[in-house]
Amino acid sequence: MSDPLQSSSYTNVITSKLKGQEDLEFPFCDDSNKYEKLAKIGQGTFGEVFKARDKKTRQIVAMKKVLMENEKEGFPITALREIKILQLLKNENVVDLIEICRTKATPYNRFKSTFYLIFEFCEHDLAGLLSNANVKFSLGEIKKVMQQLLNGLYFIHSNKILHRDMKAANILITKNGVLKLADFGLARAFSVPSQKGQPNRYTNRVVTLWYRPPELLLGERTYTTAIDMWGAGCIMAEMWTRSPIMQGKTEQHQLQLISQLCGSITPEVWPGVDQLELYRTLELPQGQKRKVKERLKAYVKDQWALDLLDKLLSLDPSKRIDSDTALNNDFFWTDPMPTDLYPMLSRYNTSMFEYLAPPRRRGPNQPGNPNPRPTQNPDHHFERVF
Amino acid sequence: MSDNEGRVHFRVVRFINESGLKLHLKSVPLAAAAIIYHKFFRDNKLKDFDPYLIGTTCLYLAAKVEEQLISLRDVVNVAYRTLHRNKPALEIGDTYYLLRDSVARCELYILRALQFKVIFNLPHKYLIHYLKFLKDWFEPYQWEELPIACTAWACLRDFYHCSVCLTYKPQHLAVGVLYFAMLCLGVEVPYHKQAELKWWKVFAEDLTIDEIKEIIKDIMSVYEMESTINT
Repeated sequence: MSDPLQSSSYTNVITSKLKGQEDLEFPFCDDSNKYEKLAKIGQGTFGEVFKARDKKTRQIVAMKKVLMENEKEGFPITALREIKILQLLKNENVVDLIEICRTKATPYNRFKSTFYLIFEFCEHDLAGLLSNANVKFSLGEIKKVMQQLLNGLYFIHSNKILHRDMKAANILITKNGVLKLADFGLARAFSVPSQKGQPNRYTNRVVTLWYRPPELLLGERTYTTAIDMWGAGCIMAEMWTRSPIMQGKTEQHQLQLISQLCGSITPEVWPGVDQLELYRTLELPQGQKRKVKERLKAYVKDQWALDLLDKLLSLDPSKRIDSDTALNNDFFWTDPMPTDLYPMLSRYNTSMFEYLAPPRRRGPNQPGNPNPRPTQNPDHHFERVF
Repeated sequence: MSDNEGRVHFRVVRFINESGLKLHLKSVPLAAAAIIYHKFFRDNKLKDFDPYLIGTTCLYLAAKVEEQLISLRDVVNVAYRTLHRNKPALEIGDTYYLLRDSVARCELYILRALQFKVIFNLPHKYLIHYLKFLKDWFEPYQWEELPIACTAWACLRDFYHCSVCLTYKPQHLAVGVLYFAMLCLGVEVPYHKQAELKWWKVFAEDLTIDEIKEIIKDIMSVYEMESTINT
């Protein structure tokens, strides 16, 4: 090659150079030791989460570690997506990403720094609150939770983002009663395919099993925002039942539980379902009647709440209510009106996180690990809660 | 930046494009790669880095950011092949692992340099909208005959060879290449002379004819630089 630069070895010169560079003061990315860790508060999709304090400002934050071990493809795309999405989505009901920090590269970590996402700290998560029997939500407070949750979903969906991991543990609530959608580790941007355009093919391995909608369980890969709405329905019911309403052990079992609640999955109630990849492979209970309202009636006394639940837990994703329409549901516009959560929460001065709660409530089935051995599931006796 | 450095960057972006095309990357990730590259060298000195390592890493990172994933292995192999045309292809071995590791490390370094700000507002989507819009002003046969879209698109792609691409708003750049393409083809938007509002004002209110001229001057200078660089 004629160009001297091209023959300059694009290999060793650089490795050594970069090693040296790691030590340089870098104004753009602070050292994570500006925070002191106080406690581990959770396990995210791609790493541990800590409560920490800014040594200078004393601000309390949450630090989420980006797991880089065994990463063959450089910086994890899931973490990159989460960062991109959170930089884009600034909303009252979406967790706020403050900055990204790193540890210094030293010979001890083989010159590989660890990265942390720094978030505003929220005192509670919904799963933690619900598992504490002392915490009681009034109807107005439940409405406030759901209104904020749907508002957050409306915001992310109108920005063309799918959350893909809706569950009570990912819904944070500050001590002032502001709800924040969190953990965008599985989230991604989506496009609305045109008529003649190629359909989208997203990965099917998303959403924690108990909150996974029927279309995903049946192998749909061109899914829509409706997958998050199903999760919202599960969470809404949980506000009264206090435990996840459908705790399947396997995908097959989850579909069974769904059919028992929402009725048999057939092309009559859900046109086109027979085209889905796993429709014929999986065993679907026949002759089940839809009993959403009937079975939840024991917990939920409010007619409008039952009506909204029924619309959120629609089997056919194209008929499932969207966040905008849901926010206009009479549930939110009839007495008692949504009530501020602050007075109720101010009675508790300890953090409530699912991670810190007794182990009975921890979900067994993280996305990406669809077939846990039943022995890993401590919740056998919990399988039917209503 | 000295003229000489500008030429180095020109070559590296050409290398990014060539490698990227071999990897079947689309225009948007290619443009993003060039933007990351120029931003990096806006804040860092050329003498401190191997620009081809930075270029290769920009390509890899841009593909990730713009959701057209390519594997680290493919990037390393293709970049090596593009740089060393006369050598045999890269075999699995020490060199391969060293290169791979360099790119992976360099990716973290670039992410830090960018402060993890990897959302780029590119002119491509604006250009597509503007083209669709303009098409309806032309007679169908006229539009078919004139390669306005191709010329504008190619010009936009070429513009990323120089760091001046960072200076303009994406909407303005999209208008600029459109204007330039029509200038090259000797056509005007029909009824342009009678119009009260200039057509580009419809697309970008805050754009002035002087800025368009500025963009065109910069486009020309990119092509001038190309003519002084041997292949």
